[in-house]
Amino acid sequence: MEGLIPESLDEALEALSERKFIPIAGGTDLMVRYKRWKNLPPSFPSLPLFIGHIAELSGIEKKDDEIVIKAATLLSEIEQSPLVPSILRKAISQMAAPGIRNMGTIGGNIVNSSPAGDTLPPLYVLDAKVVLLSKNERRCLFIYDFITGPGKNQRRDDELLYEVRFKVPKHTHEMYRKVGTRKANALSKLSVAALASSRDGKIDDFRIGFGAVAPTPVRVKSIEEKVKSRHVSELSDDFINEIVNEYGEWIKPIDDQRSTALYRKTVALRLLRAFLLQLKPV
Amino acid sequence: MENREFNVVGKSIKKIDALALATGEVKFTADIEMPGMLHIAFLYSPHPHAEIVDIDTEEAKNIPGVVLVLTYRDVPDTLHTTAGQGYPEPSPYDTRILDKRVRFVGDRVAIVAAETKEIAEEALKKIKVKYRELPYNLDPEKAEESEQIPPEDAYHLLPTVYEPSKNLAASVELSFGDVEKGFSDADFVLEERFEVQYANHCAIEPHAAVAFYDERGRLNIISTTQVPFHVRRIVSRVLGIPLKNLRVIKPRIGGGFGGKQEVFLEQVVALVTYMTKRPSKVVFSRKEVFVSSRTRHPMITWYKVGAKRDTGEITSLYLKALMNAGAYGPHALTVMANAGSKVLPLFNKIKNLKFEGFSVYTNLPVGGAYRGYGATQGYFGYNVMLDMIAEKLGIDTLEFFKKWHIKKGETSPIFEELGEGKEGVSQIIRSCGLSECIEKGAKAIGWYEKRRKRIKNGDKVRGVGAAILMQGSGIPKIDMGAAYMKMNEDGSFNLHIGATDIGTGSDTILAQIAAEEIGTSVDKIIVYSSDTDFTPFDVGAYASSTTYISGGAVLKCAKKIRKEILKVAQEMLNVPEDALYIENGTVYTRDGQQKVSFQDIVIYSLYTKNQHQIQAVASHIGLESPPPFMAQFAEIEVDIRIGRIEVIKFVSAVDCGKPINPVLVEGQVEGATVNGIGYALWEDYVFDEKGRVKNASFWDYKIPSIRDIPEIEVIICETYEPTGPHGAKSVAEIGINGPIPAIANAVYDAIGIRLTKTPFTPERVLKAIKSQGIKL
Repeated sequence: MEGLIPESLDEALEALSERKFIPIAGGTDLMVRYKRWKNLPPSFPSLPLFIGHIAELSGIEKKDDEIVIKAATLLSEIEQSPLVPSILRKAISQMAAPGIRNMGTIGGNIVNSSPAGDTLPPLYVLDAKVVLLSKNERRCLFIYDFITGPGKNQRRDDELLYEVRFKVPKHTHEMYRKVGTRKANALSKLSVAALASSRDGKIDDFRIGFGAVAPTPVRVKSIEEKVKSRHVSELSDDFINEIVNEYGEWIKPIDDQRSTALYRKTVALRLLRAFLLQLKPV
Repeated sequence: MENREFNVVGKSIKKIDALALATGEVKFTADIEMPGMLHIAFLYSPHPHAEIVDIDTEEAKNIPGVVLVLTYRDVPDTLHTTAGQGYPEPSPYDTRILDKRVRFVGDRVAIVAAETKEIAEEALKKIKVKYRELPYNLDPEKAEESEQIPPEDAYHLLPTVYEPSKNLAASVELSFGDVEKGFSDADFVLEERFEVQYANHCAIEPHAAVAFYDERGRLNIISTTQVPFHVRRIVSRVLGIPLKNLRVIKPRIGGGFGGKQEVFLEQVVALVTYMTKRPSKVVFSRKEVFVSSRTRHPMITWYKVGAKRDTGEITSLYLKALMNAGAYGPHALTVMANAGSKVLPLFNKIKNLKFEGFSVYTNLPVGGAYRGYGATQGYFGYNVMLDMIAEKLGIDTLEFFKKWHIKKGETSPIFEELGEGKEGVSQIIRSCGLSECIEKGAKAIGWYEKRRKRIKNGDKVRGVGAAILMQGSGIPKIDMGAAYMKMNEDGSFNLHIGATDIGTGSDTILAQIAAEEIGTSVDKIIVYSSDTDFTPFDVGAYASSTTYISGGAVLKCAKKIRKEILKVAQEMLNVPEDALYIENGTVYTRDGQQKVSFQDIVIYSLYTKNQHQIQAVASHIGLESPPPFMAQFAEIEVDIRIGRIEVIKFVSAVDCGKPINPVLVEGQVEGATVNGIGYALWEDYVFDEKGRVKNASFWDYKIPSIRDIPEIEVIICETYEPTGPHGAKSVAEIGINGPIPAIANAVYDAIGIRLTKTPFTPERVLKAIKSQGIKL
């Protein structure tokens, strides 16, 4: 397989400024997408730019009140890091299988921008930002602004996803559920990531993100606002039904070989309801 | 024959090919490379049903490296069946190597042979085909009124129902007693419709074949086959090459499960090599395995059962089976017939019974043999109906099972009525450990503590369910296997068998059977199997026959060898034959005065006096097909919020007679169990409106991963089958039959919902929960 192996981040950005490459780190998506007959190397439509080995693109650190994860950090490293909030670690622990998590990177999962990308719902609810670098520019976008459609995002050809960063939430309730065909190596039929915080009966934080139920992961801040600042005693059946119905407007899944639209929507809303009920006092 | 103390049989010795497999030294078909080898690729139909109006291969032929492009105009048009069965095959002759009409998305249109696989693939794109699309049908229930799928001149060798114009590939009917009267005598009658889906064998090794000429001008075929002798016969007939000019070799096989009982690549490599005089090779991609090899036959079954409330007697049973054969009919008759013949004898005291089975053509992928072979399809509804009756009677399902299942010394009229393409063979059950299987399995799953308890944990509810099963051991009075043995100067033996080890371990257990009988150890037995030039005939690895049929041949052969050895020893020691016994490779006189080793005996026989080769050959045909029995138990948890079923524990308790190698028995049962759980919960073909398979890869077609496999407990309830070699019966297939009904019955136990259509996906379970409501 032919490609360019830059020695540093600067060299990679320099190369990207000159022509189009396909950046590749772990290759767990790309090698499958461009595979050919067995024993033949994959056929990339543009020259691959190997970035998995660049030290500046790997690592997890805490900077002030933010966690910063470099784009080519291995999924398995994130899964095991005590710095990383459990909602993201849980999601990663259910991705693919250990061998793939030892190759795949968080940046790859983000840039792949699949509606079923398993790190995305947790990153959405963490209000994660992605940092993009090009030779002369640095851009910082919220993940939900970065991803624009299935497989589509705001990265320009001359840019490299550099890192993802987010504040660690101080939540009291958390839920992550992935529904796949089986327990390993299965793409999500759907997934749900949710965080909430209630103190003295007052809900001061509520965030929920859904994967694989629309062209991009779904997070609806306007509905979250309605839940926030409520007192848990206000979570009446009527109120919960209202919230569930409102999310129903946003959850627009499709039928495919993995599942049906009806199932995805039903279960997404059932899990939403289950999370809302968790907030209610017993 | 009698049960006795064994030295080699009943011991879990290592598989004789274990080390070579572990070190990667074993060559599989795809590993074979030869100088000048051509690589073959197929062009497949994009239409479910169409006639080829024009096919232009010029451009493809002109690509450098392309050696041969074949269309229906260029190949022999012999009608045949790809079913690798005995002759005459009980499957219709409805297939040509290539045909002017294509019958499903994935049917063959053209064959390319080129210097590399890449060039062959490239050439496929340059073949220009003009099709006239024909009406097509994907629904087996509409087969009769649909456009005819099989060729106009398709025919059946056997005097059986075959109506190609009605898309009827086969039908059988069997009845005794008065079914209507039986229903009117019943206190209650239950009816239900069940449906099972398409599935693939998913053997780890895809289908592959290699052909080449040897230095004597004989055409050699090496292929991933379960049936080397049938391959030789079928290829000879299809291509018109004299059988004596063909040699078929089975190398190491990476799993078959019935999928490699089909002969559809061997005639192609043989033809390419015949035409080019160059070695050729084809290796299927996983997509081709899914779409264009063979599948599990989907089946719809309708059960109607009437019973008496006081005694629990089933007064009448009616089963109708409608099998979807797909676009061609290999095994169309026998798989469908086995849905009755391997299932209905289990409750042998039913006096009024009727079974009607139909196999129909559709424009969908082609069904074939698959572990379980109709029994899997039939046992789903059967065991669910039994569970329903027991519930209605207010008695424990297991008590109901134990009271009515067939017992030792009993028979069923079905054995005689329903065979494989002809009448069956009557038999009396000579060994049956089913009641013990039920009791031990119940204990292992915790039946009495958990049944009807509906233990709830958050959204999850637990339940337990059971199923009972039987299968067969070979096809009686049809299947034959043979063995040849000779003795070497060091007291070792060559054992040549036609039997086909496809990963099952049959080379190992056949060596055990021989070593036991001769009185030596397994390391003295050099096994060579499945080569049509150097081993005697054997039908091959199917119908759970190898241990029972081929093992029977090996046992007979070993008995003869033993006799030969004693004859020489008698001459050497100058004592009467009955004064001798064999122990561990040495012949002793009973008085303890004299002994002579196997080594001395062979040296004497080869070099000293009355020189001759100690050798023997024997054939064996099963006169009966003693069923193995099994009770399977599932403990499951249903997540009622998302509809997902998780199997927590699975117990398979089996009576396979005397287990020749208990670890290999456990392996077969565990494998079949996992195979069955995958079929019950996830595995399915997803078709678009034209019958194109949308999930033809392991990416989208999910089989259980190691994390999905629950705790599996295998319990061997040993019996002794007097007609089997050293008391053995079969074990390979039976374990796939129970997971569907055991899980279905467990789901009912948990949430009170009867699932009647597989796979039990969360989508289906949730739909059932929403429409029926759960009764907790």
